[in-house]
Amino acid sequence: MRLLRVFLNPYLQIFLGAVLDTAGQILMRKGAEAVGPSSGPLAAMGFIPLASGWTWLGIAAYLISVTSWLYVLRTIPLSVAFPLISVIYLLVPLSAKLFLHERISLHRWLGIALVIIGVFAIIRPLMRAEERL
Amino acid sequence: MTAWPIFLCIASQFFLVAGQLLFKRAMDVHHPTPRKIAAAYIAGGMALQAVWFFVWLGLLQKWELSRIFPFLALNPLLMVLAARMVLKEGLTIDTWIGVVFICAGIALVSQS
Repeated sequence: MRLLRVFLNPYLQIFLGAVLDTAGQILMRKGAEAVGPSSGPLAAMGFIPLASGWTWLGIAAYLISVTSWLYVLRTIPLSVAFPLISVIYLLVPLSAKLFLHERISLHRWLGIALVIIGVFAIIRPLMRAEERL
Repeated sequence: MTAWPIFLCIASQFFLVAGQLLFKRAMDVHHPTPRKIAAAYIAGGMALQAVWFFVWLGLLQKWELSRIFPFLALNPLLMVLAARMVLKEGLTIDTWIGVVFICAGIALVSQS
């Protein structure tokens, strides 16, 4: 029961949603890679990667993250929840480096650092408020 | 003309912002919405997000990604402004500071 309450904490759900969204992006990229480059009218709309199972896993992860987002919006102000989703700008490049072996430039690291500072600025007062409860 | 694609990139985010406002209105437990209306809001929100997606694809066909992508970084700021004006959400100074850092960070990340 306690575990369920922790799981249903909206702030944890923001983070889990971001993780799922990231997983979705990585899986969809894997699907696109597995199918390889293609051309033609179907390719222009991005339909070809649907031939890969990875793409469908990615879509599933994305759909779950949407459900989680709607749950978050029940209680958390949009002006707080939306900026916090920006942790994906940290999670996506990091995962791309770890799982897809893409390189991250110094330029990007700097941007990622700014996003983290911004996210921290928003959650810091909230964490203090939680402590008081 | 360099200002035009930038303007379009920012203006098209209206669809994204409006979609999120509808999602928030549909879900908010503090401002309960009748179930049928909430369902319509969610469907409308999804439609608006889809509209944005195709407008964005259209922009990408005309202009280079690196030229317009950084301006998508304004999205959190536009979202917070809309939440303040439309949903009357109260904002703390910490939120403003956080959003400015986040937007600057996204703009840097998205430059290639």
